[in-house]
Amino acid sequence: MRWKQLFTPVQSIEPDEAREFMARHPEGTYTLLDVRQPGEYEQEHLPGAKLVPLPNLADSLKELDPQKPIVVY
Amino acid sequence: MAAQFLSGQGFREVYNLKGGIKAWQGAKAFGPVELNLDMIQGDESPLEIISLAYGMEEALRRFYVFFKDRASDEELRNLFTTLASVEERHKESLRKLYLGLPGSSPEPQAWEEKTQAEVLEGGFRFADFIRENEPLLKSPAQVLETALMLETQALDLYLRFAAKMEDRDAKKVLFRLGDEEKAHLAVLGRLLDGTLVRK
Repeated sequence: MRWKQLFTPVQSIEPDEAREFMARHPEGTYTLLDVRQPGEYEQEHLPGAKLVPLPNLADSLKELDPQKPIVVY
Repeated sequence: MAAQFLSGQGFREVYNLKGGIKAWQGAKAFGPVELNLDMIQGDESPLEIISLAYGMEEALRRFYVFFKDRASDEELRNLFTTLASVEERHKESLRKLYLGLPGSSPEPQAWEEKTQAEVLEGGFRFADFIRENEPLLKSPAQVLETALMLETQALDLYLRFAAKMEDRDAKKVLFRLGDEEKAHLAVLGRLLDGTLVRK
């Protein structure tokens, strides 16, 4: 239903909350996603972040598990 | 925005990091996605992956011992001793993981010796590594910051390995290693806070 897409909940979380979330969840049970450009990723990124630059995101969905929580930056 | 898009695509639990990476207070990794990924083919068994990790942890332990032996300052010496012993505990976890795997020998000494011999073979890289990092190891805070950087890189590497691995069990081992590394980083973080408070 298209109207649902207007109200799909995305939680904005503080860095502290994100850190707590990642500490509580074992690796492999969630996805950490970096949507910036490769140059930015190379300069610095959160450890374990998967890089999918924003323009490629729509084409790369099958690489991501929609059932797992995902933290995006 | 990416998070909204994902949510709209049926991702059931989406979180957007407020402030992005700039707001992140914790450790950050650097380097391209491919950095050191050539250390693995992607078809390694869980046993081979543990051996690789064991070798890496042993190399790091030797790095700390090397500087401990050369430290003129007692505080620095104690710090390096602590860091080396954390590595020893890391290796102990790996030994346990190894023993739990099908195909592992119940007497791991031979496996450990072989892995340690391989670390020695990588000797010339070890010397470069020391030379590069030596200027950064003059104060306890600097030592801990360097250790934090190295361990963060290790965490990132294990997780990039996991993404490359085909075998699900090998992936699981790498995720476990990542979790260990995260706990390790928490210890280092606390040590660093202690040092900064003292100064």
